[in-house]
Amino acid sequence: MSGYSTNSIDSTVARLRQRVQETEAALASLKRDLANAETQAREAHDLSQAYQGGMPLGWQEDVFAALSHTLSNESTGPEPYQSQTADHGVEEAGEEDEEEEEPGDWKWPLRAEEYRRYGRQLIMPEVGLQGQLRLRNAKVLVVGAGGLGCPAAAYLAGAGVGTLGLVDGDTVEISNLHRQVAHSSQRVGMKKVDSAVEYLRGLNPNVNYRCYREHLVPQQALEVFSAYDLVLDCTDHPTSRYLISDACVLAGKPLVSASALRTEGQLIVLNNPPRRPGDTDGGPCYRCVFPKPPPAESVVSCGEGGILGPVVGAMGVLQALEAIKLIARGDHLSTVSDDTPMADSTDGEVPSPKAPTASPPTMLLFSAYSSPQFRSIRMRSRRPNCAACSAQATITPESLTSGSLDYVAFCGVTNPVTLLGQEERITPSDFANLALASPDAVLIDVRDTTQFELCNLPGSINIPWSKFPDVVKQEAVPLGKDVFVVCKLGNDSQMAVKVLQEAGSTGRVRDIKGGFRAWKAEVDPSWPEY
Amino acid sequence: MMDWYQAMSATKPPPGHFTILYFAAAASYTSKSFDHIAAPLPVTELFKTLEQKYPGMKAKVLESCAVTINLDYVDVEDESDKTIQTGDEVAIIPPVSSG
Repeated sequence: MSGYSTNSIDSTVARLRQRVQETEAALASLKRDLANAETQAREAHDLSQAYQGGMPLGWQEDVFAALSHTLSNESTGPEPYQSQTADHGVEEAGEEDEEEEEPGDWKWPLRAEEYRRYGRQLIMPEVGLQGQLRLRNAKVLVVGAGGLGCPAAAYLAGAGVGTLGLVDGDTVEISNLHRQVAHSSQRVGMKKVDSAVEYLRGLNPNVNYRCYREHLVPQQALEVFSAYDLVLDCTDHPTSRYLISDACVLAGKPLVSASALRTEGQLIVLNNPPRRPGDTDGGPCYRCVFPKPPPAESVVSCGEGGILGPVVGAMGVLQALEAIKLIARGDHLSTVSDDTPMADSTDGEVPSPKAPTASPPTMLLFSAYSSPQFRSIRMRSRRPNCAACSAQATITPESLTSGSLDYVAFCGVTNPVTLLGQEERITPSDFANLALASPDAVLIDVRDTTQFELCNLPGSINIPWSKFPDVVKQEAVPLGKDVFVVCKLGNDSQMAVKVLQEAGSTGRVRDIKGGFRAWKAEVDPSWPEY
Repeated sequence: MMDWYQAMSATKPPPGHFTILYFAAAASYTSKSFDHIAAPLPVTELFKTLEQKYPGMKAKVLESCAVTINLDYVDVEDESDKTIQTGDEVAIIPPVSSG
């Protein structure tokens, strides 16, 4: 074909495409005009009827009914508050068939109590009647009932989400309480899920609570998720983060994901809108943002790294906010919604849901001690080679449910540190006996200064592990003496011994096996546990 | 341990430099919240430059991180034609998984 004729066809295509676009725009504009005109006509009609003929028949009947109701109620007065007895010991408890406080001819879409309870959010255009009805019909799953899950679940229950599922296998510990606001000192030792539901039921008994008292496993994730409209990731480990994201992609559920450590937090709404793997209109998943898990030895838990309560609390509250926004807008209804997981249909059929209403994804970074404290990052769309949500996805409902996807192996496993031989280590009890006999020996505590200040052994020298190699290089550590090194758990202390040996220490250098945790167990029960 | 009360707010980079912000594990690894690095720098050179500055950082931190330039997510491998310019704000965002 000659160059000339190709050009001519190309320009015809371009011209036609432009005319189609113009016509579509004109049509859309006409439709808007028509909708406006119809609204105006309806209002004008109502108004003119009101001017001419007084109240329509229906209104008159309503008013008479209301008046007669008021008259008949006056003798009994307002109904007393009725406390509800919670149905303990049942997997699924909530929305007990309470004594209806409405008269039998109640004709409003929400119950009287709902108008009162949710009044402050109902009057906001962002929620309104439709938003509240969507919240009441929504089923939300919160995975993790800790620092994120407690505040997130509290605000979701408060807002009147219809069904709230909680997943967690842990029990409440006293060290949880500075941040996990749904638990209490009285409930230490109780399953977190039960403790949280006790709190939540006190907050709002009208929610249907479902308890899953075990950690989420790949074999059950799809089945559990399929019963919900939306999932919140409030867990604390990379393995669960990848698992939850994969299951959300396969089950077609939007995911509100947050995390927090020390003074920082992250928040992102993933898989929104949730589309079939390969559909580029779908929102990115966790793997699109973080395709590679962090090295296992770099993963720090809140127990190891520390966490400020309000930091993780803020992230959990923001998760609830994103969930409420998403549900009240009805985003979760515009999905591919059959009840079948999306990946079941592999025919590549393009779904025809409503136009996506979700804004382009952003990740919110919170850094409590930085300025600015909040940064919002414009995220990428789906990754073309994503293992979960792309056309080349390798993760399938079958591979997930069969348990053949090894999330633990994918994220890596940390082995206990054993750098030293037996002769380079000493047990806490041997050290206690020996220390009395060797007054010349030096005890170096390599915990950071913050921890050293909390509690320390008299006469010990604090050289934090982070600075240790530099301090040794500056020859600030005596290399001719016998040295014992101690830390919290006995890992950093082994590395410190290595550094001393490599620096040419001539004295005998040993680490205290198991650190202060073992010291407490073997020697001094009064050592503070933190 | 880095001193969290000092220098957590990045200052404006000097002429011919960009600012790089370190979050979470990246801040722990560098013991800093930010650096100023000479610009322009091709995106593909970013990890190499940081690895030179902080040996071991690529494998231990960077490879699992999200990277942004002026608050836009960039794919260091797929968008290899991008160059970091003077005055840009780059961020190294490791995945935080605790909660």
